[in-house]
Amino acid sequence: MIRVSNLTKSYGSHRILDDVSLEVRQGEVTALVGPSGGGKSTLLRCINGLEDFQVGEVAVGDVSLVGGKPHPKADLLRLRKRVGMVFQQFHLFPHMSALENVLSGPLYALGESRAGAEPRAKALLERVGLGHKFDARPANLSGGQQQRVAIARALAVNPAAILFDEPTSALDPQMAGEVLAVMRDLARDGQTMIVVTHAMEFARQAHTVHRMVGGRIEKSGPPGEVIE
Amino acid sequence: MPRSPRARAAAALAVLLLFPALAAAQELRWGTDPTGGAPFVYKPPGATDADPYIGFEVELADYLAKKLGRTSVLVDGLWKSLPELLDKPRTGEKGIDIVLNGYEDREGLKEKYAATIPYYVYRLALIGRDDDAALNDWGDLRAKPGQPPREVGVLGESAAAKYSKRLYGEDAVLESDDVENVVGMVKDGRMAATVQDNPAAAHFVKKYPELRTVGTGRQPGYYVIYLRKEDDQLRAQLDQAIKDGLADGTLQRIYRKYSIWNEDQEWLAHRYTGAWPTPVDQEELAAEAGGGSIWKLIPQLLKAAGMTVLLAVTSFPLAMIAGMLVALVRVYGLRWLAVPLGVYVEVIRGTPLLLQLYVIFYMLPKAFPALALDPVYAGIIGLAINYSAYEAENYRAGLRAIPRGQMEAALSLGMTRLTALRRIIVPQAFRIVIPPVTNDFIALFKDTSVCSVILITELTRKYNELYNFNRDLVVELAVLTAGLYLVMSYPLALLAGWLERRTHTASGGR
Repeated sequence: MIRVSNLTKSYGSHRILDDVSLEVRQGEVTALVGPSGGGKSTLLRCINGLEDFQVGEVAVGDVSLVGGKPHPKADLLRLRKRVGMVFQQFHLFPHMSALENVLSGPLYALGESRAGAEPRAKALLERVGLGHKFDARPANLSGGQQQRVAIARALAVNPAAILFDEPTSALDPQMAGEVLAVMRDLARDGQTMIVVTHAMEFARQAHTVHRMVGGRIEKSGPPGEVIE
Repeated sequence: MPRSPRARAAAALAVLLLFPALAAAQELRWGTDPTGGAPFVYKPPGATDADPYIGFEVELADYLAKKLGRTSVLVDGLWKSLPELLDKPRTGEKGIDIVLNGYEDREGLKEKYAATIPYYVYRLALIGRDDDAALNDWGDLRAKPGQPPREVGVLGESAAAKYSKRLYGEDAVLESDDVENVVGMVKDGRMAATVQDNPAAAHFVKKYPELRTVGTGRQPGYYVIYLRKEDDQLRAQLDQAIKDGLADGTLQRIYRKYSIWNEDQEWLAHRYTGAWPTPVDQEELAAEAGGGSIWKLIPQLLKAAGMTVLLAVTSFPLAMIAGMLVALVRVYGLRWLAVPLGVYVEVIRGTPLLLQLYVIFYMLPKAFPALALDPVYAGIIGLAINYSAYEAENYRAGLRAIPRGQMEAALSLGMTRLTALRRIIVPQAFRIVIPPVTNDFIALFKDTSVCSVILITELTRKYNELYNFNRDLVVELAVLTAGLYLVMSYPLALLAGWLERRTHTASGGR
């Protein structure tokens, strides 16, 4: 349901992404691994339109983004409601509580009413293990808790797929473990995911792994083949 | 001349050393305000900086200096603060010996300074437009029941100001430091009339055919020269010089040249055999001025403070809104919009508020008569525009302080840019800019004093006015005025602290 075709992104003479193609089917968990600077995060950000690219195409269902020209706003909005993102630095909204963060998508992006959206938002927070932290501010949460709220926030708009950009890189092993447990839980429930990660224990449990080096996909396949 | 070269050199040296002392002893430094205009002290149209001043007081000063064996040196200052120059040393660039600039004989001033005998008898003249059929005498300007009072312009803190307020009430009288501007407004029909001393009145009626004098001159008074109390000898010399000038026709010649010699001056010339009688209303004015208590002045100060508050609390929200919009466009908007707004910010920040108020109130209506505004509206708009530039920069800094990831996270959820700004970015930026914004708000309270140049009576102007006529209460007035400003600003500081604490704990102590 997500298809990337011949994606190329250059900055001056430097090729950040070089003719990248991949496909992610519904329910599939894909891991992107490789050394830093290999273009993994950039690829993710091209998929949801946070960065543009010169050549190639990104197709999510019936919406597609084409390289070389500015993406139409309507297309971006449609695509982003189908593909959510979880960031390495969490980027929770500091002036809102955990519950309000999770509600922000349904309320401000989908136009739902608070009464209608609240039960589901609370359920999501409970699902990620934070049912007791509805009114907490991000500053009063640990890193692991913040990232779990961020995951719940991304889930709240009911995306078909979620992109994870190094979700545990800013966390110590224990908190990373909490977050990875939530992600495993999601995967088990059939959530389509593309995860850029250095946490090999998670990558080993993905359906497909792509190894990216220097802006190219070096090797693709099941984890056993790609990860030594 | 001594014969030997050595002796000649010594003599030359002595003369050189004495010369500055000799030169200083030969000056009569007179303080005056050239912006007061014709026919007192002025330059004719088309004159350059190098051309000398003319006017009947220039010629009078020249005559007096010559009589005393000195050279006349003009020192310019602000009309209403000329007497204060007598409190300062007489040396230095702004040092003066006397004040000579159409200053009335006033009890309050005579307590602190000495005065010569009068050199001119003036009357207050009412000037109105030629085509104003409703204006035929002084009484016609009185507020009729059910109608707003017609406005009268005067020179700030002058006898004309006092008399006009007594006659027409405080609200009908608009004070300004600039006589030319006030007369211009009457000529353009923006003000009903102006009350000026008769020399100025004669000049303006001659200059502008649209204007005429209405009724007869009132409130005869004296122009005197003020000097330091200890300069007894100088005063005696000046008195004698004036008497001589009146007797031998010199003064008559000068005054006729400027068309201001009349029967009042003939009366003056004949009166110099002893002490002069006080003209009719001076006793009343004397009773009012000076020796009052501070308590009577407090209501006036409070009323003026109310105007200060009104100006500040109406203009600042406008400045905040405009500033936020400008900042949003500059940070997030299109280049072709952002660049002109950048120019706007630099121009408004880089030019004085005083000039901006002048443009809005005096100059714009000359180009577009439909844009003639009431002083208070002009003041509010002027302050709002000026401060919007500073607020725009505050908000721009606040917006840029928000990490990029916030916008990215919001967009990734499927929000539009506008919604993201409204719900995520701006609320955070608002909290960041609370300290500099309240800072500016407190500064705005003080900047309202600049609005006095467009005829608004706010607190600082009222202080100046009361101080002028109550010089014995200078300490009390100053303390009270400063106290009022503090009372107005301090709640803002408290509000800022409360806002900061509230948002501080709201975002979890960060």
